[in-house]
Order: sequence, then structure tokens, then C-alpha cells
Amino acid sequence: MVEMLSYPFMQRAFIAGLMIALLAAMSGSFIVLRRYSLLSETLAHVSLVGVSVGILFGLSPLWMAVVASLIASWLIEYLRSVHGMYSDSVLAIFLSGSLALAIVIVSLSGSFNASLFSYLFGSILSVSNDDLMIMGFFGSLSMALLILFFKELYFIAFDEEVARTSGIRVPLLNFMLVSIIAVIIALSIRVVGTLLIGALMVIPPVAAIRFGMGFFSTTLLSIAIALVCVVAGLSLSFFFSLPSGAAIVLCLLVAFIFALVVNRR
Amino acid sequence: MKFSPSLFDVRDVNFTRGDNEILKSVNLTILKGEYCAIIGPNGGGKTTLIRLLMGLEKPTSGTIKLFGTDQSKFREWHRIGYVPQRSALVDATFPATVREVVAMGRYARRGIFGFESLEDIGAIEESMEQMGVSDLRDRLIGHLSGGQRQRVMIARALASHPQVLIVDEPNTGVDVESQHRFYELLRVLNKSKGIAILFITHDVGVIAEDISKLFFVNQTLLLSQTPQEMLRCDSMSRLYGTPAHVVSHNH
Repeated sequence: MVEMLSYPFMQRAFIAGLMIALLAAMSGSFIVLRRYSLLSETLAHVSLVGVSVGILFGLSPLWMAVVASLIASWLIEYLRSVHGMYSDSVLAIFLSGSLALAIVIVSLSGSFNASLFSYLFGSILSVSNDDLMIMGFFGSLSMALLILFFKELYFIAFDEEVARTSGIRVPLLNFMLVSIIAVIIALSIRVVGTLLIGALMVIPPVAAIRFGMGFFSTTLLSIAIALVCVVAGLSLSFFFSLPSGAAIVLCLLVAFIFALVVNRR
Repeated sequence: MKFSPSLFDVRDVNFTRGDNEILKSVNLTILKGEYCAIIGPNGGGKTTLIRLLMGLEKPTSGTIKLFGTDQSKFREWHRIGYVPQRSALVDATFPATVREVVAMGRYARRGIFGFESLEDIGAIEESMEQMGVSDLRDRLIGHLSGGQRQRVMIARALASHPQVLIVDEPNTGVDVESQHRFYELLRVLNKSKGIAILFITHDVGVIAEDISKLFFVNQTLLLSQTPQEMLRCDSMSRLYGTPAHVVSHNH
């Protein structure tokens, strides 16, 4: 363990991983309770469009991922809330549409290269100091907003209409939540990868809910599960040379199965 | 005489959805401390009327004033407690304890950075006590019976110290005995706290004789009469469009 942490790249991977685990588990509770789990999966695919644009034009893939994911999140929320389209259909369109776009852009750039592979499945080697700076900035902003509006977001997840009739600004907060999720997902792709980030956002809350506690305790347990699984996954990735995202998701699955078995009814 | 504006003032409201005229020329006034019921057949527009009052639907034409303020400018939503029809139907695994649900009633008053103040805690405890759900505080809302959930939802609405309470079809998913206890509770809240009550029901038998106003909503028609007049068989038959008998429950 000590040896592992003596490598600067592992230090960076741990800082990034723990930050992402905290943010993903916290925001994940809201989308799980609103039956909106596929949002994280969809935005992860959209981030890939940003990454491929970044690779094609030599721009920061992480920045481009944040931009693409944010724009898509606003479009999705707009189509859902203003045009009243079914959430799952809008997400399905964006999911496959963005993947198609990303593949076309990457093909234009010449080839599927190794760096794209790391964006798909995560890589502990890939987190740079610049990435950490971007993650630190957007991550703290997202965390601050989540903490500030935690109770309102919870009320909306419980009953959107009653929240609205209580004077809570539901449409604004919905836009804020999808924006935060878009940013968190874009930031996660270095460590967890676009194909796997959905699991980090969805599995910890789903596993925590099985323990039948109130929302505050469920959120704390969800964060704990995410942090433990990220530490375990990154360590497995280091010792067995596995893609970090895949290792983290397998740990999450073990946690989920444990939660199921312990709380079987 | 002290000026007392009406809590709800609905003038010539029409509401259409597509080509369907759901409500037509609705006029309604509810004053402070009144105990009112809305009855009418299913699909007659009862819930739509409540949704219009709560700003969840916009009228096609007409005006709605809340506490003397035009609805679009109204901001003091904590003065109105709203318990929608489906509120007793909560997902069994939803992670929310009774205490957490009741605390939601205070959220709009707390603002951002809002930690629970002593006043918040007092209001939450008081409303749980009033509705007899204090002992259930740590239970998950989804694990309670329909009647218990209904009382928790009312406790949440009461926590914001509303001046009027709107309850849509409180009987949904609730057994008969709980229903009767529930209406007694509404009456007590109205008498002891002076909270105006507006509830929807399709069970004419639960309507107390001392009700202030009885509204009948059937699509394009809204009547406001005294209960005695409304409950006469010929009135009911006329309103429901079929021969009707009013059966007294004597509770």
C-alpha cells in the first residue's frame, strides 16, 4: 500500500478517484430516486464526443468533455421538461446518437488510438496535474452546489409537484442538477472511463437503499461504499495491471451483491 | 371591522385541455377558517380545480387570487398546505423516514444554508404530535399503512404553519376506520387551529353537517350551496345525472 502511494501517478489517481467517488455517490442518489439512472450513462457517451473533438483538434479532451456533456444535459432537460418527451426515449436518442458522432469524429482523426481506449475504460496512468486542477475546480463547485441545495433536491426527488407548490424553484434546480451530473461525469472519465461511470453513480445509492434507512444515512452509506470501492478498485488496478474503471465497477458489483444478500427479504 | 381578504378567490376561470373543456366559468371563494368540501363524479374536474389553485395548471382564462395576491405574483406558498391524491402511495423502498418527510414542510421557509432552527424543530415535533405520528418518526414512510402515510403527509403540510390546508381524495388507499378518524382530525384542526380546510371527496357520507361550503364540480358546472340543500336527493340526482340516494353514515 505504502509502495503504491509512493508513485506520483497513483497519488493523482487516488485524489481524482476519491473526489469522483464522493461527487458521484452524492449526486447519484438523486437520479436513482427519480428513476433517471440512464442519464449518467447517456452523458458519459456524450462526453466521448467531447473527448474525440479534443483529440481531433489537439484541445484538452477533459475540457471538451465537460462542454459537450453540459450542452447535452441542458438539451435533454429542455426536451424532457418543456416538450414533455419521455425521459427514457430522449436518453436513448442521445446515447446512441452521441456514440455515433464520437465514432465518426475519431475515424476522421485517423484511427482508434490507445488514448481513446483509456477514456473508454479509465486508466490510473492517465491523470495529469492539469486534470487534477480542472477536477478540483469543477469538483468543488459541484460539491458546494450539492450541499447548498441538498434538501431542496431531496424534496424534488420525493415529490416534484408538492415541492413546486411549496415554493421551491423546481425547474431551475432540475437544470442545476443535470448540469452538476454532466460535469461530474465528464470529470470521471479519466479514472473510471465513459463506458463504466454510470455504475459509480448508480450502484452505491442502489446498494445503500437496500439497508432501509432514511435519506441522510443512505447518502452517507452510499458515499462510504463508493469511496471503499474506488480505493479497492484502484489498488487492484495497480497490482494486477487492470483498467481502473473495470476494477472499480467489479468492486461495486461485489458491494451490491453483499447489500442484496445481507438485506434479502 | 378588520379587513380579511379571501384565501382563495377564483373568478370566471375556464380550463381546456386540447379540445376538451374541463372547467367552465368557475367562481369560488374561500375565507379564513372555513371548512369546505368539493364533491363530484370522477373525471368531473375536481382535481384539476385544485391543481389550478396550486398553480400546477394555468387557467385558459379567468383570474385566481391567493391571499388577495394575483397567483402569478404569489410567493408565500408556505401559507398553503397541499396534500395531493397520490400521496399515500409511496414507493416502499424510498429512503425517507417519517421525520425527514415532515421536515420537508419547513424547507421552503429555511432558504439556502438553512440548517434546522429551534423554530423548525418545534414546528416539526408539534405537527407530528398533532397527527399522532411521533412514535413512527424513524420508520420508513414506505413501510407504513395507507392511513399512517396520509397522516404523515398532513403533518408535513402542517409543519409550514399553513392558514389553509388542501387535501385531495384523502380516502385513496385508506381503510374505512382510518377515514373516519382522518375527517375528525381535519375538523379538529379547523376548529382548534382556525386552519381553513378544503378537501375533495367522492364520499358524500363524510360531509359534516356544519360544513361552511360545499362545492360540486362536474366539468362545466360549479355550484356552491348549503350542504342541506345539496344533499337533498333531487339535487344529487340532477348533479350526477342519475337517480341518487344519500345514505347517512351517522359518524
